[in-house]
Amino acid sequence: MGFARPARIDDAGLAGQLAADALPGFRPADIALSRDGAGALVAGNDGRVALVRPLGDKFVVRALHGAEVARSGTVLRVRPPEPLFPETALDLGEAALAWARRL
Amino acid sequence: MSFPDPVAIAIPAFVALIIVELVAVRLGWRGDYDWRDTGTSLAMGLGNTIAGAALGGVVAAMAALVWEHRLLSIPVSWWSFLLCFVLDDLAYYVFHRSAHRVRWFWASHVIHHSSQHYNLSTALRQTWTGFFSLGFIFRMPLFFIGFPPELVFFCAGLNLVYQFWIHTEVIDRLPRWFEALMNTPSHHRVHHGTNPRYLDRNYAGVFIIWDRMFGTFEPERADDPPRYGIIRQLPTFNPLWVAFHEWIGIARDLARARSLKQLWLAIAGPPGAVSGETSDAVKARWQAGSAVMPAE
Repeated sequence: MGFARPARIDDAGLAGQLAADALPGFRPADIALSRDGAGALVAGNDGRVALVRPLGDKFVVRALHGAEVARSGTVLRVRPPEPLFPETALDLGEAALAWARRL
Repeated sequence: MSFPDPVAIAIPAFVALIIVELVAVRLGWRGDYDWRDTGTSLAMGLGNTIAGAALGGVVAAMAALVWEHRLLSIPVSWWSFLLCFVLDDLAYYVFHRSAHRVRWFWASHVIHHSSQHYNLSTALRQTWTGFFSLGFIFRMPLFFIGFPPELVFFCAGLNLVYQFWIHTEVIDRLPRWFEALMNTPSHHRVHHGTNPRYLDRNYAGVFIIWDRMFGTFEPERADDPPRYGIIRQLPTFNPLWVAFHEWIGIARDLARARSLKQLWLAIAGPPGAVSGETSDAVKARWQAGSAVMPAE
């Protein structure tokens, strides 16, 4: 039918570009991709951290202020304080602990 | 004299053209569709039609009331039709500009911009709360001048039908004379763009001349392709959230307001005034960033 497939985020460059496009003035400095393509965390050089997650075949970006964050092993669960924003489970491997401390 | 409803007549053509565009995209033409996004757009279009059927009579009654106190008695003729069409398009420009600069009007209009896609189904993504936000008042001067309500509604329908086909990426640029005079897919892609340079630009309905006259025109650039949607993209395809999220935001900000100024900004300020994410602020940060960024 010509419909696009659901998006995955498995390219650090793309994650950084999406965050920079969505948040004017944001300069990506460090990026962590979920191993299953479910999302990415992008740290800016101003200390902000952005969540990038797929929505259909596109993406949604949020600067994480006051987000609920929970870690279970290598998986970080993040939910921005916003109605209907789904929880994002990010499998960050061994980097999960370090990113949890940044949030 | 009675006039047909141009939108009702055009609906089969809308459906057929969406299918044609889908096939074109499938064959490799520029553009893309996501079934969830298109489904939401169609749901919004259906809700808009229902709301219009339910409340259109009230708007017609108000138009008739204003027309009874008209300044002039303008007959229905070819010249009054042309004049009405042009003035109705000017009224649309004023409405549309207000809909992007005043949060009360934006709360209804944001629905149309809430898709990250730009295809013909996006044209059908329309508000359910247009009556509540009072968008119809922008056409009232036409009735007061003396244009018969049925003529104005006919012109408004034609205006809406015209705007359908410009919601596409399949068409790149049209002949220069046409791009100079008329609203086109290229001009309207800019209007739906969230790129800082494109924010609050190209409000035209049919004639792009209004933007050129009033300083709001911005051409599409090959080196800055539009990224569609809104500054803070919605995190869901839920039609109810699409329809009401900004109204809920207004209610939340009113509840938190601690001064008359905050109350005013929550209702009548520019969208994003309370959070600090106005289009002007985004542009300013972008321009500041461009000024200090080294050339790459």
